[in-house]
Amino acid sequence: MTDDWKTYKPLLLPDLPGLTDIETYEKYEGYHALKTVLDNPDTWSPEEVVLQVKDANIRGRGGAGFNAGLKWSFMPPPDGKPRYLACNGDESEPGTFKDRKIFEFNPHLFIEGAIIAAYAIRAEQIYVYIRGEYRAWVRILQKAVDQAYQKGYLGKNILGADFNADMTLHMGAGAYICGEESSLMESLEGKRGYPRVKPPFPAQRGLWGRPTTINNIETLANVPLVIRNGSEWYRRIGAETHPGPILYGISGHINKPGVYEYPSGMSVHTLIHEVAGGIRKGKKLKALIPGGSSTPPLRADVLDGLTMDSDSLRKAGSMMGTAGMVILDEDTDMVDVVWRISHFYHHESCGQCTPCREGTGWLEKTLRKIRNGDGEMRDLDLLLAICNRMEGRTICALADAAAWPVRYSIERFRDEFEAKCKQTVYALS
Amino acid sequence: MPEIFIDYQRFEFEQPGKVLQFMLDAGLDLPFFCYHPCLSIPANCRQCVVKAGMPVLNREKGTFELDDKGERIIRYFPKLMTACSLDLTDGMVIHTHHSDPLVKQAQADNLEFILINHPLDCPICDQAGECPLQILTYKYGPEGSRFEHKKVHKPKAFRLGPRVVLDAERCINCTRCVRFTDEISKSHQLTIVSRGDKNYPLTAHGQEFDDPYSLNTVDICPVGALTSADFRFKARVWEMNQTPGIDITNGKGCNTYLWTRDNLVLRITPRQNDHVNSHWMPDSGRLAYQRFNENRVHRPHIKLDGNDQVRTSWNNAILTLREQLEKTEASEILAIGSPHAPVEDNYAFRKFFKMHGVSEFFFVPDIRPGSGDGFLLSDDQTPNTNGVRLLDFKETTCKNLSSKIQGDKYKLIVLLDDSLFDRPDWPAIDPGNSYFTVWATNHTPTTAAAHLVIPVTCAAEHAASYVNVDGRIQRTVAAKETRYTNRRLNLEMSMGRLDHYGTQFDNWVDEKNRIDCIPAWEFFKKLDAEARFDWNSSREVLNEISRTLPVFEGVSYERMDTLLGVPLSISRNTPVDQKKTIEPKP
Ligand SMILES: Cc1cc2nc3c(=O)[nH]c(=O)nc-3n(C[C@H](O)[C@H](O)[C@H](O)COP(=O)(O)O)c2cc1C
Ligand code: SF4
Ligand code: SF4
Ligand code: FES
Repeated sequence: MTDDWKTYKPLLLPDLPGLTDIETYEKYEGYHALKTVLDNPDTWSPEEVVLQVKDANIRGRGGAGFNAGLKWSFMPPPDGKPRYLACNGDESEPGTFKDRKIFEFNPHLFIEGAIIAAYAIRAEQIYVYIRGEYRAWVRILQKAVDQAYQKGYLGKNILGADFNADMTLHMGAGAYICGEESSLMESLEGKRGYPRVKPPFPAQRGLWGRPTTINNIETLANVPLVIRNGSEWYRRIGAETHPGPILYGISGHINKPGVYEYPSGMSVHTLIHEVAGGIRKGKKLKALIPGGSSTPPLRADVLDGLTMDSDSLRKAGSMMGTAGMVILDEDTDMVDVVWRISHFYHHESCGQCTPCREGTGWLEKTLRKIRNGDGEMRDLDLLLAICNRMEGRTICALADAAAWPVRYSIERFRDEFEAKCKQTVYALS
Repeated sequence: MPEIFIDYQRFEFEQPGKVLQFMLDAGLDLPFFCYHPCLSIPANCRQCVVKAGMPVLNREKGTFELDDKGERIIRYFPKLMTACSLDLTDGMVIHTHHSDPLVKQAQADNLEFILINHPLDCPICDQAGECPLQILTYKYGPEGSRFEHKKVHKPKAFRLGPRVVLDAERCINCTRCVRFTDEISKSHQLTIVSRGDKNYPLTAHGQEFDDPYSLNTVDICPVGALTSADFRFKARVWEMNQTPGIDITNGKGCNTYLWTRDNLVLRITPRQNDHVNSHWMPDSGRLAYQRFNENRVHRPHIKLDGNDQVRTSWNNAILTLREQLEKTEASEILAIGSPHAPVEDNYAFRKFFKMHGVSEFFFVPDIRPGSGDGFLLSDDQTPNTNGVRLLDFKETTCKNLSSKIQGDKYKLIVLLDDSLFDRPDWPAIDPGNSYFTVWATNHTPTTAAAHLVIPVTCAAEHAASYVNVDGRIQRTVAAKETRYTNRRLNLEMSMGRLDHYGTQFDNWVDEKNRIDCIPAWEFFKKLDAEARFDWNSSREVLNEISRTLPVFEGVSYERMDTLLGVPLSISRNTPVDQKKTIEPKP
């Protein structure tokens, strides 16, 4: 289905200059989807929008891959009190830098999608939570939001319809954990970014205790495409169980790092060798981290025939995540990579739950010991034991995200870890 | 009735609730740190994990699916669940460490995690002996440690505020202290700062943790991270006796524990009473321990010629006062009761002088509008205003009373334990020309002006009752020995660990700190030359009160002990039955 990728025309980031300006965006069917919905409330009731989006099967692009329309359908019926849509642009996972491209090149597509989502879930307030370091792109987005207000796409009685929506941008203050949806809500409420215990889920009790839906920026940018062209059309793009365009963020030891838009289900080899220009300096591939730093690394020898969609990646022993692919070449020291990832999670754990707060630090310190040449063989078993004690025992998924790369790297690259341990003065222990 | 199965045992539950609280109520054990029944549930310590499952319901038949053996098929949650946040659900099946090795392992794992960065300085930590972390580690924790790296270092002995000291390295980040300031005291002064294993609680920059309830965080901190600036390094908990008491620094009458060693009260902590103070008490009440120990009136004091008071014998004090009574007309005696003194003492005081023909009894309430906070600090600065009211003392003001004293009418002033001269609205005058006798626990400007000072027991030394601002009568238990009481012999005293296991060589039997004083009722019994009072204990005084005064009907120490105080059916304006007040017994 992706054989014709060379002729694929980008939908999220089309090759059209000046799309950040609302006039240009409107020229290319911009805000048509919103108009269609609001002008035909009989065919496009909120329920119908939810149904269509659910049918299109837009899998959440924030990492968990949950069907967006299905998530919207969890919102309870309106009761006249406030409801919220929170858009997750915190984008802090190492290897992930795709939402930024939407802010930079096609902010109106996201805004339009968010307004339609707000209509579908009957929310009148939209918050956009953006990674604080994205200053330059926040400015672009803010300008786009202002234009949308001027043109009447945001505000009261949008396009004359009985529908109001406000969009407020909120910049994060540098904590990765604030990208976790419940922590994001705490942060928006002005509190410390501690993830909440679930249940209750955000649709039951979200922002200020009111029903809330949280979606990733890229997820929402897909919504106008579905409205414009129908869910059937959308489902025909890319992989069957994980359809739609994907922004592949490719980085690491690669000749042409960057964000590339192609259908889902692209062959990993095609992405690495053809799209992104192959491994740097003609080296061989050693490992791939397919979807951001928390997804388990894959050995190069399992990548044949592998495609970028959740089914294929799960079978290979990893996950789609955010499709932020990190390419590691043959010279890579896996111990060093895993230590660096552990360092990140140690630094970013919110520290609320015991296993994560203490486990992330213990993992990092033990990995640093091995990396520095002081490792002992028993440290490897200790690392796995720590992972066992962290996974599934915490409030949010950060602990899992911290444990997986360690567990799977040791499982898949054990020879390297052992070699490192054997070099030490403790080799015999 | 809905049912739940915990470790294969069936329980029924009526109210919705959480599994952990249900287990605690049922007397089952489960380790936990962050949960507190009065605070929100963050489920962050992850210590209370259990395996939980639900029977599989056949929706068509409306019955539970059964296996070959006819047992319900249970579908377990894929992850271990925190019992503190898990709702009781009909049919739920719970496995704790008693019936599931994985749960047992998970509890030990979690403790291992908590301990890796913990300083493990129990030998020098104030919390040792009453530390949930220490206790639970012994009970559920792993043996030894596999952590071989440098621990995280954080601020130590850091003054969070005037009364609370933080050792951030000991903190296990349970957020109880933060939640307390957010949800109970509402000062919002604390938050957790930094991230991950560097976390610790702190105030906003430049702000002090001077919440009037700040010391409650020390009580609920499950480790020695928060300690009382005052009590730090003073005593090990196992060396102290713990005696139930009442906060006498204001009208709320928070229930307390008095902690004693060497016959000194070393600290005061709240005692749970959901009718009065829940688990909390104000910081001000905790500082009262000083007045129990220091500046006490020891032996009767008498002013001979000139201004200097000297100590005198009990015998001489009694004879002197009898002499004064003989030469004074009843109408020339000004009798002033005290909202600081307990019901029993005011009663005995009134009864004694009534028998001498005194007909009017006064007292000055110390109510300072605006000083209360609607929570545990009342406008009333005294513990027993309602008690004195119920005994038919007339309310008066400092101004009125001082002009009475100034006048020529009264030749003898008798003042039960109340330092009137310290009151902000007491006019700066001396007690006039009358003979001035006071009963007092501590030396004050008032005792300094007196001709005769009779030392009486304080709330830490007697069993006695106080009626709080809400009309609840509650009682104290003697925590400290006087010259005339003995922990082992006096059955009205509490029994502590040392009473059971100590030897007479233990240093808590410290003669030095035994004050030469007696309860006021006992003094009046001795004072009465005709020996008309037959009380042998304050319990008997109270029994007489409840027999003779309708508002106190049915009140007894036993009932106060089992019900944690007895609400009296009074309102502020109910006139007390005048006829049935204290008449001398025929
Ligand atoms: C530790 C952690 C960090 C996360 N960071 C982000 C993030 O930066 N951006 C994001 O969109 N989702 C992030 N997520 C996922 C969100 O919790 C949430 O699933 C997502 O925003 C939902 O949107 P979607 O369904 O459209 O993907 C994070 C999750 C975890 C556990
Ligand atoms: S798992 Fe880690 S990041 Fe998530 S809530 Fe717990 S401590 Fe915080
Ligand atoms: S200081 Fe004590 S109460 Fe506060 S978070 Fe730390 S351990 Fe918990
Ligand atoms: S008591 Fe802390 S998680 Fe349940």
